[in-house]
Amino acid sequence: MMLFCMECKKIFSSLTYILYSLLVILMIVSQYFMEGGEKVYPPSQGDYDYGEKIVEDHDLIMSTATDALTVEFLSNRYVCYPFGFYKAVHLDNEEQAKIEKYICEITGLDSEGIAEKKKNADVCYITDGTHDYGEYAIRDMPISVSMTYERFTDIMDDVDDILGGGSDYAVDGLVYKFSRVPMTYEDAVEDYNSILTDDRVTNAYARLFSDYAGIVLAILPVFVAAALTAADRRRRMSELIYSRRSSSLRIVFTRFLALVTTMFIPVFVFMVIALIQILIRYNGADIDMTAMFTLPTFWLLPNIMAATATGMLVTEILSAGAAILVQFVWWFMGLMAGGTAGLSGRIGKFTFICRHNALGNRSGFIMNWNNFVFNRVFYMVISVAAVLFTVGIYELKRGGSFNGIRLFGKGSIFRRKA
Amino acid sequence: MVSGCLARVVYSDVKHNFLIHYIVALCILLASPIFFSLSQLDSILAAQPLELYVPLIGVVLMTPVFLPEQNESIYDIVRSKKINHDIVCILRLICSVIVILCMIGAYVLYMKNCNSQVTVRYFIGSSATALFLGAIGFAFAGIGRNVVVGYMASVIYYILNFSFGTKLGYFYLFSMMHGSFIEKKWLILIAFCMASATFPVRRIIRN
Amino acid sequence: MDEKIVIKNVNKFYGKKQALFDIDLTIEKGMFGLLGRNGAGKTTLMKTLAVLHKKKSGDINICGVPVESAKEIRAMTGYLPQDFSMYPNMKCDEVLEYLGALSCIPKAECKKRVTSLLRKVNLIEHRHKKFKELSGGMKRRLGIAQALIHDPKVLIVDEPTAGLDPEERIRFRNLLCEVAQERIVLLSTHIVGDIEATCENIAIMDAGRILWKGTVHEILENARGHIYTANVEKQFLPQIKKEYIVTGMLAQTDYVTVRIVSDTEPDLPNTVLTEPDLEGAYVYCLHSHGCDIVGGEE
Repeated sequence: MMLFCMECKKIFSSLTYILYSLLVILMIVSQYFMEGGEKVYPPSQGDYDYGEKIVEDHDLIMSTATDALTVEFLSNRYVCYPFGFYKAVHLDNEEQAKIEKYICEITGLDSEGIAEKKKNADVCYITDGTHDYGEYAIRDMPISVSMTYERFTDIMDDVDDILGGGSDYAVDGLVYKFSRVPMTYEDAVEDYNSILTDDRVTNAYARLFSDYAGIVLAILPVFVAAALTAADRRRRMSELIYSRRSSSLRIVFTRFLALVTTMFIPVFVFMVIALIQILIRYNGADIDMTAMFTLPTFWLLPNIMAATATGMLVTEILSAGAAILVQFVWWFMGLMAGGTAGLSGRIGKFTFICRHNALGNRSGFIMNWNNFVFNRVFYMVISVAAVLFTVGIYELKRGGSFNGIRLFGKGSIFRRKA
Repeated sequence: MVSGCLARVVYSDVKHNFLIHYIVALCILLASPIFFSLSQLDSILAAQPLELYVPLIGVVLMTPVFLPEQNESIYDIVRSKKINHDIVCILRLICSVIVILCMIGAYVLYMKNCNSQVTVRYFIGSSATALFLGAIGFAFAGIGRNVVVGYMASVIYYILNFSFGTKLGYFYLFSMMHGSFIEKKWLILIAFCMASATFPVRRIIRN
Repeated sequence: MDEKIVIKNVNKFYGKKQALFDIDLTIEKGMFGLLGRNGAGKTTLMKTLAVLHKKKSGDINICGVPVESAKEIRAMTGYLPQDFSMYPNMKCDEVLEYLGALSCIPKAECKKRVTSLLRKVNLIEHRHKKFKELSGGMKRRLGIAQALIHDPKVLIVDEPTAGLDPEERIRFRNLLCEVAQERIVLLSTHIVGDIEATCENIAIMDAGRILWKGTVHEILENARGHIYTANVEKQFLPQIKKEYIVTGMLAQTDYVTVRIVSDTEPDLPNTVLTEPDLEGAYVYCLHSHGCDIVGGEE
């Protein structure tokens, strides 16, 4: 406990932690308090647009997905987002033939049938750079009666593989991509009511809060963790600490706990502020007093833990700079993936940065609840495992049998004394 | 004679202190096809790699200008020589800027060759973002006398751009993706000011 | 041009803290030793001479050139800091060539000088070794070579022997003596032995002030009559250390011979007035200027 307090004190007085707190404050205030977390009002009748909603309608998915696939097949230009970046995939003849076979199977048409559709469709020639291709407007591909949804998802899975992943046909994304319908006034009212009744207000705001805070909390902790871990080496303290009696397990875990605790404090402060704000705004409504704490903690703690664990582990093995780089790449890919997955609702089993950029759409979130729980627990466990691994590395270094991998020789970039 | 000596200094610097950074930057660019396609992109899509990804080489190349002398005793040695150390740093910076421009130029030409809709404006825009990010790293590393501070500052600014977006006004890095080019000239201007202010500020803080 | 360094009324501040107080010193050709304990201001003075620090007030004139014209001063001074370090991946000859280029030496001449200097400092076989692979002594010798690369009139060496083994230390001193034949060498140290072996003129600094300046002979004379030896039993040692300034001890079989610096003859058995040594003279000098000397050390 004594060690824990000392570590916390050390972190509180470090420049990186102060910087971290300032940035967290800046992000949460500017994003959640000034922008997203406003009071919601019931929808008014006669609005032009109530947004879209996702329904799990298998027939709708099959027909729209088949249309989209045929369009892309006819132009041999498939748009994918493997890392969140746009990537146009062109297939060779053999692979095109496979896709054609699948389209035939789904639609029950043969090659001529598809050619017929192509001939009858409106075509729009697009000049992309110096290259021209035709885009065929096809919206009425038939679905074979014998086609089941199970078989359909198998085919789509295979198509996604052929395209190299990240396509619209990836199975867990089908429902988000091809099963959207416009919301009616009634839907909008229902969505609004569920914020008040099902979410009891705080749950909805807690989701939005976590969405905003999650982005920064998936990267910033790595700076603090890496700086703290590298500080020993830079101040030539390593040997002094190595020679003490404490076990490596105790030293490393105390540090990890101290880092996570201290870095959670600014977030916690904002949870309290957010709750107070809601209590004032929705005075009199039935408000869930705990949700503003439980959900964001469960949502955000794994982010802090994972980034901290990466910071500690990679710094021990390589260097602080490498840790920042690794976390940056992970964060960047997570962010881009989150962006293409649609900013709300779609949370996979391994999505690092979970997004839900809306107050409403409770149903979309609940649909993924099991994935979400698995996901968060997974990242917590992984983080603890990474810390255990760090303990192992630390023990090795302490015994002198490992000195860290020196990427750039003795006076490597991040090791020179400042 | 002085220019000849400077040429030797720069050559030696590139060979011993900077080659690794050049290689890293090159690797970053060469790795890009893994993440996204560079061919057949329309003008908005072409801005994506050029603004989100390529400018990271600015951080890699401009931040470590002061790195070789981060060790105080090395700094004293080079400072006790006749040629002003700031001149050496300026030369290194210029080298980095030239390498950045060449790399981005080659990259843009390659995209053009792959039938993407890129123009000279894209080259300038991408370079502006790279130079701005690099200048942040350069200034913070120089003033904070610690390269990690520089990397941190530029990475954090990059992150801020995702969260704040167009609210950053003239300082927004990814404007080309929204079809706007006005920000770019501001980025270049401010990058230039930041880089040139670094030297006097560094000296004032030292004294 | 007269070959000497003239320092007049120099003051230097780090923020509000004054580091140098009215330094007055004239340094002539040959070896000059600056003696003082850690934190006495030696490094500050040397860095000011090498134009790495700016002084607050006063005049410094190096071989007729005021210290304000930094470029000229840098062209004629060579500086070796306390812990010399260089880009770890450069080889010995590359280090010298790089620093030679920074000193504006033409390429052909630079190559020639690098070879001759490496030979002089006995590193010619290691010329292709990287800096990070050198031992402490080798690094220090390379440091001297780099300070001499542009054949400076003045060589400023800050604590060059700290951390070297005795053999390296002797080698290094000899090297310095050799170099000092044709230029001013300013050497700072807190190890009295270094000065004793090499310098003719010395100055003693403490807390940013010059306490004493003159020749080695003069300082020894100054201490004459104040240094005693006595033979005492071991059990009285702590007591004696408390009462007197002990500069040396030599354990014999059943007693200890101690050297004591004192204004008056100590009241101890077998006390003999002895010939002063430089260490004793230095301690006496500090003592007579009212500096705290604890346990006979420093």
